[in-house]
Order: sequence, then structure tokens, then C-alpha cells
Amino acid sequence: MTKHAAPPWRAGQVNAPQDGGRSHILVLFANDQHGALDRIVGLLRRRRSNMQTFAIGRSEIPNVVRITVVMNDSEVGVEQLVEQLRKIVDVRHIVNLSYAQAVARELALIKVNSTASQQSEIIELGALYGAHAVDVDQETVTLEVTGTADKVEKLVAQLQSYGIREVARTGCVAMTRGAGEIIKE
Amino acid sequence: MVIAASVSYKQHAGAYQQGEEDARELSGSQILCEALVREGVELLYGYPGGAIMPFYDALTSYPTLRHVLVRHEQAAAHAADGYARATGKVGVCVATSGPGATNLVTGLATAFMDSTPIVAITGQVARAFIGRDSFQETDVIGVTQPITKHNFLVRNIEDLAGTVHEAFRLALGGRPGPVLIDVPKDIQQNKTLYRPSASINSLEYFRATRSPELSPTAIAQAAKLIDEAQRPVIMSGHGVILSGAYDELRAFAEKTTIPVITTLLGLSAFPDTHPLNLGMPGMHGPAHVNRAIGAADLIVGVGLRFDDRVTGKVSEFAPHARIIHIDIDASEMHKVKVAAVPLVADAKVALAALTEAVQPANHSVWLSELRTWEAQNSERSRDIKRDQQYPDPTSILEAIRAETNGEAIIVTDVGQHQMWTARHYTWTRPNSHITSGGLGTMGFALPAAMGVKMGMPDVPVWAVAGDGGIQMNIQELATLRQQGVAVKVAIMNNGYLGMVRQWQQFFHARNYSETPITGPDYVKLADAYGLIGMRITRREDVQAAIHTAMETEGTVIIDFVIEPESNVYPMVAPGSGITNMIEESREEDTGHD
Repeated sequence: MTKHAAPPWRAGQVNAPQDGGRSHILVLFANDQHGALDRIVGLLRRRRSNMQTFAIGRSEIPNVVRITVVMNDSEVGVEQLVEQLRKIVDVRHIVNLSYAQAVARELALIKVNSTASQQSEIIELGALYGAHAVDVDQETVTLEVTGTADKVEKLVAQLQSYGIREVARTGCVAMTRGAGEIIKE
Repeated sequence: MVIAASVSYKQHAGAYQQGEEDARELSGSQILCEALVREGVELLYGYPGGAIMPFYDALTSYPTLRHVLVRHEQAAAHAADGYARATGKVGVCVATSGPGATNLVTGLATAFMDSTPIVAITGQVARAFIGRDSFQETDVIGVTQPITKHNFLVRNIEDLAGTVHEAFRLALGGRPGPVLIDVPKDIQQNKTLYRPSASINSLEYFRATRSPELSPTAIAQAAKLIDEAQRPVIMSGHGVILSGAYDELRAFAEKTTIPVITTLLGLSAFPDTHPLNLGMPGMHGPAHVNRAIGAADLIVGVGLRFDDRVTGKVSEFAPHARIIHIDIDASEMHKVKVAAVPLVADAKVALAALTEAVQPANHSVWLSELRTWEAQNSERSRDIKRDQQYPDPTSILEAIRAETNGEAIIVTDVGQHQMWTARHYTWTRPNSHITSGGLGTMGFALPAAMGVKMGMPDVPVWAVAGDGGIQMNIQELATLRQQGVAVKVAIMNNGYLGMVRQWQQFFHARNYSETPITGPDYVKLADAYGLIGMRITRREDVQAAIHTAMETEGTVIIDFVIEPESNVYPMVAPGSGITNMIEESREEDTGHD
């Protein structure tokens, strides 16, 4: 009936699988404007993004904040979100960083139960992960660790046996490797 | 970081840099009015209240700004929307804080879904009272954020004029949409030195408003697909109307002889009487249109977003077709269906370039096949017996068209009458069909028709509505009377919320839960508002009634008592493929009820 073969099937966003995606890192540069953050978070919610972490801070550009979002989604889902995010007036640039080209790090503070005799043991264990103690008292040791989400999780798992009181994580921030600038425009 | 300032920036900015203006000390309210005047605003629809009173105080000193006092803020937004759709200019609506602003919400959402440019100005409590649960305080910025293209809370009086100009550029630029400006009362009252030329203070929005550049590679790829196609169709949407690409669409279709399908919001962009016209696709499209999509090997989609009412079940939509998708909004690409060639561009520009690039073609075999399908369907529907006593929707629409020589603009509400009008009116005047498509807002027709008529005073305007929707903004009859605006209103009154009843008939075993509805005596109601009303119960009186309505000055309401349980056919069940239609004859054969 048709001369052309049907195009290879590829999901549009509507029928994109809701699971089976992978982690993506989006870096957004947004005007440091009242409400800009709201718009970004609101859009990610409305468009059903599986957001995992969200980190915001100043960038090297005056009055522009840098936001790093990690989300688990399909390729088409992320492409859609990027195009939707671009339409927010306060969003100046968006870069979809692949893990391969990115240095991605997060920082965690982990407060662990500790007796006086366990202190050095915990600190040594932390050292294996490059963590160092930032606070020690009679009952607890607080470690600060920086690294990939995997590394942080491994350390947390290792510390479980002591009893974890609190974990505070910043969420991922990321940057391209090498001299390549993230902003092309 | 350099943001590429496009050429259009200079053009835009030029309009506001008219040399050395007098810097004058003005109040925020006056600055707001000045900026609106400079934007060429002639009409505002609104409703005063506490937090917007300083603006209304200033308004009387600006006689070129004609303010229309609506009877409900929702109507203000719809009227601004109707005005914008009919004229292509930005519609403006005004409301006070709190309930005034929240009443705009449905109208803003309607405009947002259908990409129409409106600017809403809302009063806000004074800055010192924001965030303290003050009287009539609502976080309007938060509430309207998902249903506006952008919104602004004006935080300094110095930003006010620039914000207004930005709002207008944003509303119109790229894919149009509603923009809201929330102005705290103290900013309206404070004074500052107003310098008109200094009112553009940001480059940011030009990214959002500049037109995307056409990719020559994509045009070449698209032209190749078009030249090779055996069974191509054009699907034309609202984007063609928004970009005014009527001639370009026609030239493209005629050079390639590709049949043209128009979506609900694309109706009237291509004349129904044209030999290449096919009709409307989707849930209530005629069978041959949906069959054409099912059989097509190429879809040239222009300014449409493949809405679910158009596609039905997406995996069964156009299973053999490659898609060339032209849209000014990049986020529409691949959203529903993956495009073989995505063309992010203005419809007018893209169609002109494509027409240039393609070879002339002759698809007469394909077209005659489509016409055979069409003939089969119309034969089938002729067999259906209808009660001849009632005025029927088709005869009402034909009479309106005859009595206005096809020059009328028809504004519909939402429901069965909307689908009947879309299907059975013969659209030949470009941009003569105005309806709430994306949001499906009942209560749209009457206030929107008011905006249409005021924007196009020389054109006959008919609001066609059901007896459900007309009761949703019926209060605007008072506005029409007060303003002396002549909207002719045809109510298709079947005593039901007809479309919901139809769904109940098909999908809920005739359980007519809360769909029978009564209404007022519309003749008395019209009289109470100081207008003329008629009630028509027989088919033979239809034409004369419409003739009388056209001969009568001012707004006229005709209550057409139509058959209570007529349906819109064919219909695709929600979630089904569009080639799987419920047709009139099948309902009777199979007892589909």
C-alpha cells in the first residue's frame, strides 16, 4: 500500500516508557530572578520528570544561578523537558551533560553514632573514601565526604552498622571535563 | 556570555525610541496607561476593585483606552482572547487582586492552550502587605504560573513601563500566549520620572520572541519526502491561522495537489469549497478524513500539536506515514509523534520555502480514492431518519451562512454544537471559526464573541452555543447591552449537556447522570436584559428567524429547540485508533447503546 516503509518505531513523549530510563544531568543557567526557581521546579513537576537531585548556587556570571538537576528518564523524555525548559523566559541556557563528559560530585554530611572507642575506627573507615571528620563528640562522629552519588552511598552503607543519625546531601553538581566551555552561545 | 541580539531587537526597540521625550513625573497608574497607549491598545476588558483602583482612577484621563466593564472577570479574559484571535493583536484584560484575579484563571488557561496573545493586568495588595494573608491577597503569580507564557510581579515602579512592553512582546512573539502583570497597589500610587524611551530594559525576552531560522537542509529533506510520497496529506492547525499563512498553504497544496486536512483550530485556514479540502480529523472527524490519515504515507503537519483528540490512540495514528512537522515551538517536535523532518519555523516562512523547493505533482488517483470513501460515508448518513419537526443544527448553520453571505465569524462554545458547527458549516472566510479547542472551556462563546465583534465591528458575529454553556457566562448579555455590541446568539437547546449525554449513551449504558438541564425562558431573559429574543421550535422557521436577527439592531438571542438526543457522528471512542469509528448506521445496526 505504501511506497515508504514505516519509520522505525521510536516513542514520542506520550508513549515513552515511564521507567527504563537512565540518569541524566541537566545544567541550567537561569536569571537570579524572583520566581525563576519556582518556574523550573513547577515545570519539572507538571511534565512528570523523575527528578532525583536538584542543586542551585551562584555561577561565574553575575545575577545568573547555576542549577544542576539529575533525573531518571528516557532519552525522548529528557529531550522534551529540555525543550520545555528552554521556553521559560528566565532560563538562559540548558546543557544536557552526559556522565561520560562530566565531572559530577556531591557532598554529604553523615552523623554516625560512636562511642569513644569507635571514633578512630570510623574516621579511618571514612578516610578510605576521602572523608574527614568535621565534628566529634561523646556520642557521634560527623563525616564530610565528597564524590559521586555511588561513592556516598557506599560510605553510608559501610557506616550503617554504627547507626546513622543523620545524612545531609547536597545533590549533584557537575561540570564538563577539559577546557570545553559549557556555554556555547 | 553573549546573548545574540537579533536584528529584530533593533526593529522592536526602534518603535520605542522616538528621540528625546519629555521625562515627566507620573504615578504608576499613569505610566501603566501610557505604556498601554504606546502599545496601541484600544480596548480593555475588566472589572475594578480595591487593589486596582488607582489604575481605574488614571484610566479616565486616557480616552483612547476604551474600557469595557464585564460582569465577571472570566468574561474579560475570554473577550480579550476573542479580540486577539479575530484581530491578531494582543487582547488586554484587567482585574483586581484576589477573587478578581482568580476569576481570570479559566480564561488565561484557555488562551494558553490555544496559543492566543493576551496581556492580563491584575492589581495586587501593596508590597508591604504581600505574604501576610491580607484582604483580597492571592499569590496570582503562583496560581497563573503554569497557564501563562510568563508572568511578572512588578517590584519597583521603575520597572513598570518596561514590564508592560516586555509583556506585549512576549505575548505576541514566537508561539503566542497569555502574559500576566501583577501590579501592587502602592506601585500604582507612587510617582516617578517616566521616560518612555528608557522603557525597554532587558534583552532576555528576545530569545523567546525571535523567529527561529529555517534550516535549508531540513527544507531539502522535506521536499524530497514530499516529492516521493504517493499518498500524502497536509494537516493544518492553528499555527497557520496565527501566522496568517493562508495563501502560502494554498499555494503549497495547489502546487503539490496534496489534500488538506484542517484541525478544529485550523478550520477556515483553507476554504472548505476548495477541491483539495478534506475536512477535520480526529474524534469527530468524518470517516474519510481519518481513513486518509490511516492510509497516508506522508503527513505534512503545519502548526498543529497532534493533540489526543486528533490522534486517538497514538500507536495506531498514521501507522504508515512519515511526518514532516512544522511548528514554531521546538518543544512540539517529537512530543507525540516522532517527525522524520522537524521544521522549527513560522508556518508562513516554512510553507513558502517548501513550495519553492518541491516539484509540482499530481495526486489525482489518491484524491479520487479519498472522494470515493467520502461518498460512501455520506450515503450511509443519508439513510438515517431524523425527526423532521425540529430545527436541526445543519439547517441553522446553513441559514446563518446564507444570511451573512459566508462573511460571518462564528464563535462556538464547547460540546455537540461545537462539533456540528465545525463539521457542517462551510468555512470559506479565513479565520472565521473561533472556539476553545485545547481547554474546551464552556462559557467561552458569548464573551469571546463580544471581543470578536468589538475587534471586527464591520463583520457579522454569531455566537453558537449549547444550552449548558450559554448559561455559564450569560451575565455578559448585560455588557453587550451596555456597550451596544451586536452579537447574534444561536442556542442549540436540547435540554441536555449533550456531549456528556452522548458519552453516557455510548459508554455508560444510557445512565444520564446529571445531564438533563433546564434553562430560563430565553425570550423573557433577552427582554429582561433589554435585548430581543426568539424561540424557534420548527425547522421551517429557522431561516426567517436568522434573517430577522440580522435585520435587528444589537444583540439578538435565538433559542433553537433541537432534537433532544441527536448525536455527533462519527465518533472515535477515547483511547481508540481514529480509523475505528462509531458511525450513525452502526449505532442502529448493533444497538450500540
